[in-house]
Amino acid sequence: MKTDTGADTHGFLGEEFLTWLWFRWESDGGEFTLPGGRVVGVALDDFLSFSAASEDETEQTLRRGLPTRTAEARTALRQGNRLKKARLLVAEGSRQWSATLDAATLTLNGVKLPEDAEECESDVDRTTDRSANWLALHEIVQALYGSFLRERLRPDYKKAGAEKQARWMAG
Amino acid sequence: MAAIRKSGGVVAFFWDGKIADPQDQKFVDALANRRFRTIENAASEEVSSGWVTALDPTGDSFGLEDLDGGTGTWLRFRTDKKTLPKKWLQIHRDAAEKARGKKLSARERREMKDDLTEKLLPRVLPTVQLIDALLFFDKKTVLLFATSKSAREVFGKLFFESFGVPLERANPLQCGLRAGLDEEAKYALERTEPVRWPKAERAGEIARSAPRQAVAATEQDTEGDA
Repeated sequence: MKTDTGADTHGFLGEEFLTWLWFRWESDGGEFTLPGGRVVGVALDDFLSFSAASEDETEQTLRRGLPTRTAEARTALRQGNRLKKARLLVAEGSRQWSATLDAATLTLNGVKLPEDAEECESDVDRTTDRSANWLALHEIVQALYGSFLRERLRPDYKKAGAEKQARWMAG
Repeated sequence: MAAIRKSGGVVAFFWDGKIADPQDQKFVDALANRRFRTIENAASEEVSSGWVTALDPTGDSFGLEDLDGGTGTWLRFRTDKKTLPKKWLQIHRDAAEKARGKKLSARERREMKDDLTEKLLPRVLPTVQLIDALLFFDKKTVLLFATSKSAREVFGKLFFESFGVPLERANPLQCGLRAGLDEEAKYALERTEPVRWPKAERAGEIARSAPRQAVAATEQDTEGDA
């Protein structure tokens, strides 16, 4: 099956966003205050896939355990590679989602919603609860992406955020 | 009626323009106009797609209350597909070739396939696929619980035929344009180029000895970036 690389839709920005999430998680603890005062936590879980820097280079996928701590992951970063896909843990208050983000298309695969609320007694209740959780996950990812873009599109980005991220990637 | 799913893949879509309010009968009518129609007994149709509800998978009834998805509106479409089993085709072809004592030409094979399709398709039961989506009217957003290209295309077509507005699939550019950025940032977004991070040979050594030079290396590599 042909994969959507997002060449016409700024797919590279999705990959930069995912790599930035990793950088922010490791450098700042992964806590984000989103517009409206919403506070969420983001961490990378047990699946990472790096995009190849060019068509001739090999793509790398790391699964299970703590792939962000592996030498292979650090080497990929040092080579300047961006994340293509990663499994994320997203938390807000007592709710936690997990999902694999396909960066080039911002598609969420393998999503697991938080457990149904204890008050849910019927299918109607469960639908209401889940519907709110689907929307919340979508809005959190959109808001995180907006936060990334506000930093990324600043005229002084290279001298501010990029400097720190370059050091982290090379470290 | 079971509850809406709590896991799986999801693709977001946006729309611009106006569609009927899901609280209004016009919304239900728009769905009903493009309701699912069965091909169970059809002689020639191979695929059929249309709206149904979580309460009634036949597409025969639509009610406002059937679309209640809590904070969103619960849409469901059904696609039935009839496929002539390849084994049947092969058996008939082998028999014809054996009787004749030589292989069939491409034209004869095509004619045989058409003939068999006409005879056997009415007897084939369709495969049934039900796909859900949650529509958030105020946010002009709909979440489709399927990621395949065929499902996305069918959904986009049904939505357009029902409401008269096209859906735009979420992607880094579209999401950026809808992220509440100011005009300057939107302008920069449309013109931005990828950052080319420095490779290890330079950056690793540079970063350890003089961090600021790592950025200089980045800037060299990102020349032309917005």
